[in-house]
Amino acid sequence: MYLVADINVEICAAKSCKLCTQYCPEANTILYSDEMGKDQGFKYGSAYVAVDRCKGCAQCVWVCDNMAKNNAIKMIMIDQLPKAALTDNITYGEKSTTAVLASPVVG
Amino acid sequence: MSLDYVKFSNGFEKFMPKEYRDMVEHGPFGKKVSVSQVGSFKEVLEEHPMCAGCAMTLFIRLAMVAFPNPEDTITVGTAGCGRLAISQAAIPFVYGNYGDQNGVASGLSRGLRLRFGDKPKDVVVMAGDGGTADIGFQQVLHSWFRKERFTTIMLDNEVYGNTGGQESGMTNRGAVLKMAPLGKKFEKMDMVQMAKVAGCAYVATVVPNNPRRVESVIKKAVLIAREVGSTYIQAYTSCNIEYAIPTDKVMEDAKAVENDRYQFTEYVSEEAKQYLTERYGYKEFLAKPAAAIPNKA
Ligand SMILES: Cc1ncc(C[n+]2csc(CCOP(=O)(O)OP(=O)(O)O)c2C)c(N)n1
Ligand code: SF4
Ligand code: SF4
Ligand code: SF4
Repeated sequence: MYLVADINVEICAAKSCKLCTQYCPEANTILYSDEMGKDQGFKYGSAYVAVDRCKGCAQCVWVCDNMAKNNAIKMIMIDQLPKAALTDNITYGEKSTTAVLASPVVG
Repeated sequence: MSLDYVKFSNGFEKFMPKEYRDMVEHGPFGKKVSVSQVGSFKEVLEEHPMCAGCAMTLFIRLAMVAFPNPEDTITVGTAGCGRLAISQAAIPFVYGNYGDQNGVASGLSRGLRLRFGDKPKDVVVMAGDGGTADIGFQQVLHSWFRKERFTTIMLDNEVYGNTGGQESGMTNRGAVLKMAPLGKKFEKMDMVQMAKVAGCAYVATVVPNNPRRVESVIKKAVLIAREVGSTYIQAYTSCNIEYAIPTDKVMEDAKAVENDRYQFTEYVSEEAKQYLTERYGYKEFLAKPAAAIPNKA
């Protein structure tokens, strides 16, 4: 098993600074959705991770903890994530993306 | 090389992978995108085998977002880690023998000018410190003395990363590496000074812990190379494998190295300043209004 980054929507959406997205070494991996968290009353959306692209470096954790000072990201074993975003289930829009969350491991 | 080369041929759209469709429909081609918008559009860089947490990967990613016209850009690379990612993007990539990248880029940029005239086609070389300052040194310097109009970017991880840790001319004096067990005996080469002596119109040093600054220097370097002359960016892009930097400490290391030997520096020739101001509306080089002279008591 291996670790991937998991972003807590409630904690992220309270700040939504979009910093981690700029520091992840991998392209198209930490994405941003204007919609995420709206159902819980948050206005500005949240970052989320396309876990099939995440290499588990935890740089985003450092950025969220130390630069954003928001502690919204944790490293989690991929089979412990109940649902996650995968590239195949992500739709790009004009200025944002949306993701249908699914189980990240097959079987 | 134009917006057309990324589009689907008639009837093929349904056979294209999702990533490709996303790139055509929501990629940066023909639009202005910026680093502050990453995460909201499809980037041209795809998955690649560079190590987890590698700062060089981050720099390459940011550079590709910053290219002013990605649809009119060709990258040139050489042996070393960076090509493993640079080659996996929706931007044509030319790969030659180790160290010949600035020779290849010279021919390429001249050929593009013959073929396309004034329409800008940007050539950007990205190569390691070994590829740039050691093996490719002669071709790099000569392309600068000839004022070839393309951008050279050194991905400086201060080691031969791809082959397991030999010292390069850019390694710091005293650094102990797997294949330099006695420690390097000579100083780090001053390629920035050499670029200035050789007549580059733009020279900058940068570290990827400031993504917006990376974006700004890449844009300036590429634009200036269109008409004014050679441009050179030297980026510290640590190798977390050969320098044993824990991946979640890569940005801390970048900050420490920035403070130690990689402060942001930028040299812009007078001609390049004028060109950026007049052609691209840059405001930062305009003469500042004279400060009020303080009254002397
Ligand atoms: C002519 C030739 N000699 C040697 C090599 C083997 N080789 C591949 S990559 C490399 C070193 C790369 O170091 P650097 O340019 O600093 O890039 P890095 O991998 O550190 O990014 C060498 C020696 C080669 N490919 N071709
Ligand atoms: S750095 Fe933290 S708060 Fe900012 S967008 Fe990323 S997860 Fe959200
Ligand atoms: S762990 Fe690394 S690869 Fe994964 S999302 Fe975070 S920064 Fe990106
Ligand atoms: S060996 Fe070093 S420079 Fe090469 S990909 Fe890995 S961390 Fe990056």
